[in-house]
Amino acid sequence: MKKIAISIYAAITVALMIWGFYQAIYVAPDEKTMHEVQRIFYYHVPSAMVAFLFFAISLAGSIGYLAFRHSSDVKAQISDAWALAGAEVGVVFCTVVLITGPIWGRRAWGIWWAWDARLTTTLVLWLIYVSYLLLRRFAAGPQVQTLAAVLNIFGALDVPIVYMSNRWWVGQHPRPVFGGDPDSGIKDPAMLHAFGWNVLAWLAWGLLILILRYVVERQHQKIAAQEAQNALDA
Amino acid sequence: MNQIAILNHQFVVAAYVITWVIQLGYLAWLGLRWRAQKRYAARQDHGPR
Repeated sequence: MKKIAISIYAAITVALMIWGFYQAIYVAPDEKTMHEVQRIFYYHVPSAMVAFLFFAISLAGSIGYLAFRHSSDVKAQISDAWALAGAEVGVVFCTVVLITGPIWGRRAWGIWWAWDARLTTTLVLWLIYVSYLLLRRFAAGPQVQTLAAVLNIFGALDVPIVYMSNRWWVGQHPRPVFGGDPDSGIKDPAMLHAFGWNVLAWLAWGLLILILRYVVERQHQKIAAQEAQNALDA
Repeated sequence: MNQIAILNHQFVVAAYVITWVIQLGYLAWLGLRWRAQKRYAARQDHGPR
């Protein structure tokens, strides 16, 4: 039953990805000033939105771990698995944002990178979460999960700064697509339509790999617990 | 198609291809890790007695 549900969800996700791609490339009209290169927007912005969501899930997982670590080991481990899964999949999406952004910028602005507030805070966010993953991968000892959870909470503080950066400071990066000035953002309904489908598609895809990452981490935790038990029994 | 349009098209293709290489590469890595862990767990269950 579980396998069938996952297969149906995966099939819907693939269909959404194909539909989103079709909308972005063939249906959405060319933007007036940037022309075709503006179509990078349909992958760049949804990836950023999904990355923010997953960093929020990771934050919730870390808070859960700190809250349950003395009272319930199972709940603490589940929370920790969500924290790790959210951070890792969030980094994947953030990497996409940091690569597609400069590709777009090279054509739109004539430069690959600018030390603009939005770009710089996004790079810092990526570095913080990469350091979180490196800590999880290479550090050992009973305090690693606690230290990682604290780092995650501090790292998550950068998410609202990234979000607000192009509202607080004027820079190279365009003004907000949503919730900005009346003049900013996309106005064409066909563009909004294509954008909405791509947000939905990337969210479905992201949730699929987030759940897979969570399952892998829970499996890893169970193997580690079993090995520890075997060592004690030996 | 003029030179600018060709370049724009190439940049869009590059962005879309890189996005999918990252996403599918990560999915493949996850799948391999999941399979390796599953095999390891199965070996532990039927390990030497």
